[in-house]
Amino acid sequence: MHETISWLQKLSNRIYAIPAVAQWWARRAAQRSAALDGEDNAMPFARLHKPLSAARGVLITTGGVHLTEQAPFDMETPQGDPAYREIPVNVAPEHITITHNYYDHRDADADLNVIFPLAHFQELVQQKIIGSLAPRHYGFMGHIDGELVTTLTQRIAPEVAAKLRADGVDFALLTPA
Amino acid sequence: MGLIARAIERVGIPTVSISLARDLTAAVGAPRAVFVKWPLGHPLGEPHAPLQQRTMIFRALHLLVNADVPGVIDEPGYRWRRDSYEEPDWSRLE
Repeated sequence: MHETISWLQKLSNRIYAIPAVAQWWARRAAQRSAALDGEDNAMPFARLHKPLSAARGVLITTGGVHLTEQAPFDMETPQGDPAYREIPVNVAPEHITITHNYYDHRDADADLNVIFPLAHFQELVQQKIIGSLAPRHYGFMGHIDGELVTTLTQRIAPEVAAKLRADGVDFALLTPA
Repeated sequence: MGLIARAIERVGIPTVSISLARDLTAAVGAPRAVFVKWPLGHPLGEPHAPLQQRTMIFRALHLLVNADVPGVIDEPGYRWRRDSYEEPDWSRLE
């Protein structure tokens, strides 16, 4: 919450919030990002093996979501902060905050469901549309660049994947900033 | 984000991503994504707009259940606040 964002960054965030500008950025980023995943270019594809009403879901966001008592994401390093923060499923909403200088998250601050729909998912479990939720969910920062991309793909993302397996997760919903 | 999705999918857990940056999602190769041309920071829509948010969740879960090829990008074409959103028919996910 207590971010120091320059007026220039704020202006930049407003410009990038325009969908057409964001798509232009996405095109340019796409040219740099082909084959980021390293040597294994085959697209992995798993299937849901049970009805959704019996399946356990997990939420993962790259929108800089974390608990107020956790260390904020490091916005100073130019290559980004590849670490993640675990969000317990039963956390009170007021204990969740967002640290991310590269997008305008005032709307997500006002209603976390804009980017991290834990409340909706809890309701879907009550309505028996989804079977259950994982005991822990995950906040990343996104905007990872340079050598840290390898750190993310080789070490950190597989570590989270292993935790999902350990928690009996059947599917994941990922939401960007 | 697509890189995280791929790592999860690799251990046998299906993923669905919401994308606000279509070409980037396609280049990274997210296994399944729903793309909407909306402002960054708003993958599920506007604050305090539960029907819009639940519509996006429904669309994502629908793709999760029904996609049969890797790399599909679903484009529902929702026009931000110029669309009217209704409570989804969740029984269609069964």
